[in-house]
Amino acid sequence: MDLLEVKEISKTFTQKSRPPHIVLEKLSFSVERGQYVSLLGPSGCGKTTLLTMLGGFMPADTGQIFLAGKKVEGPGPDRGFVFQNYALFPWMTVKENILYSLKVQKFSKKEREQRLQELLDISHLHGSENKYPIQLSGGMQQRVAVVRALASRPEILLLDEPLGAIDFQMRELLQEELAALVEGAKTTVVMVTHDVNESVYLSDRVIVMSANKGRIIKDAYIDLPRSRSRQSKAFKEHVFELTDLVRQAFQERDCDRQADISVRDMDMGSDSNFIASYNRMHSKYTNVANGRSRAAK
Amino acid sequence: MERHGSTIPDAGNARLSLGDVFDKYRGSFYTLIVLVILLIIWNFAANKIQNTLLLPYLSETAIEFFTAWVDPVIMSNLGLTLKRVFTGFLYAAIIGVPLGLIMGYSATAMQSLAPIMNSIRQVPIMAWVPLSIIWFGLGDGPTVFLIAMSAVFPLAINTIAGVQGIDSNYYNAARSMGASRKDIVRDIVVPGAMPNILTGCRLAMGAGWMSVICAEFIATSAGFGFLMVEAQVRLETAQLYALMVMSGLVGYAIDKVFIAAERKMTSWRFKDGFVGS
Repeated sequence: MDLLEVKEISKTFTQKSRPPHIVLEKLSFSVERGQYVSLLGPSGCGKTTLLTMLGGFMPADTGQIFLAGKKVEGPGPDRGFVFQNYALFPWMTVKENILYSLKVQKFSKKEREQRLQELLDISHLHGSENKYPIQLSGGMQQRVAVVRALASRPEILLLDEPLGAIDFQMRELLQEELAALVEGAKTTVVMVTHDVNESVYLSDRVIVMSANKGRIIKDAYIDLPRSRSRQSKAFKEHVFELTDLVRQAFQERDCDRQADISVRDMDMGSDSNFIASYNRMHSKYTNVANGRSRAAK
Repeated sequence: MERHGSTIPDAGNARLSLGDVFDKYRGSFYTLIVLVILLIIWNFAANKIQNTLLLPYLSETAIEFFTAWVDPVIMSNLGLTLKRVFTGFLYAAIIGVPLGLIMGYSATAMQSLAPIMNSIRQVPIMAWVPLSIIWFGLGDGPTVFLIAMSAVFPLAINTIAGVQGIDSNYYNAARSMGASRKDIVRDIVVPGAMPNILTGCRLAMGAGWMSVICAEFIATSAGFGFLMVEAQVRLETAQLYALMVMSGLVGYAIDKVFIAAERKMTSWRFKDGFVGS
């Protein structure tokens, strides 16, 4: 049996004086133990909604989610959740943040201390345990957020665009850190992202979701050895293929939604940028391919 | 200090030039200049008006002001007033903070209590004086009640704002780590609202200090406000001026203490862990 099973879940958002918006319709997939899965898709495709439901913060309208055979019916420590803005408690030190789950689950002081050392080891945060989050760099905050989610040994780690707010240069560096951290913890991961490169770099498997009812348009396995080189041909081919699919996913949004994009969703403002950046990215890779074919001639 | 990794150069280590000293106290220096100008204007005006009942001379007031600080009668009355303020403030905190926490946390509590609270809040504080005298008689009772009454609303309202301003992801994060409702109140709601609660304390203390003087005009025969009425009745305007300046300074000092406490208690909000004003 797979660790995580999502069975035909649907979610519709209803707003006053607007037609109901079907975010997800009968979506099913499962995740094996130890797999790193990315949910990739344009904003508005329901990937964050899906992750929120996996976290148990929001119920599905219909369908079920099972984790290790147990039905998900609310948030719980069997799932470690890393929020987009990390949601580190600013009034707690790094140590208090990391150990919070063990504290509320009444682990003994000795167990807590021992686990703290393990987590500081894998996150290279020794010496920062008494600092407050505001005193940390973005990368350190990310590491705190991840090890905090790992502290009580959850079955699965759920990452909501963990590098969403970080600039491009820093992003690649933090992706490497994240890869090392997750590998060290040997955990199962479901990550939401809209960054194709990131999904290919980190995942064993990428699920591309459509803007139309969250339909899965591709379930791709990334069979590249770790640690991955972004320069390798195979890597670029994966990125190229998935970029194409994400563009397709974006175009699948239904026409009536397109009409009121600007008022409908808060984060829709970035959509024009989003298309532009995908087109740019695509042309960049096309140019590389053209250059290669020209050189061959 | 050390564990916060402060980057502020320590004044003890660095050799300070005159310019550095000036930079450090720039604000105080400007305040001083304005103060001196105001005092000079006062002196000129007093010389022009030549009526010490309306506007006493600066020198006369200054003498009254400085002797007041060593006058045992004035000091014991000031002590009495301060005691009343802190007692009233304590009652306000005991009622206002939990009320604010509940109203901020629970939508039901908010809906049922907000209209009542907002109505009571509109009653002018002095309108409570007759009732408070009926309830408590003369003396400490009505003054403490009036202070608590004027302090409780800034406290409750700021606490509500503090709780409502807590990022919902903090609740989600805590719940996903297995926190119970009790854990969430203790570890998320209270510390998350703490900056606002402390701001509320500051405003409440200010409101309390302002209303105590008024309350003492009417409902008591002792205290700092009572001394002011006495000075007025005895036509000792210079002393009245001195007492007013004192009340301003004492209020200012209390506010400074609260600001310092606020920074110290929520040092997690400051990047360098810097505590001080």
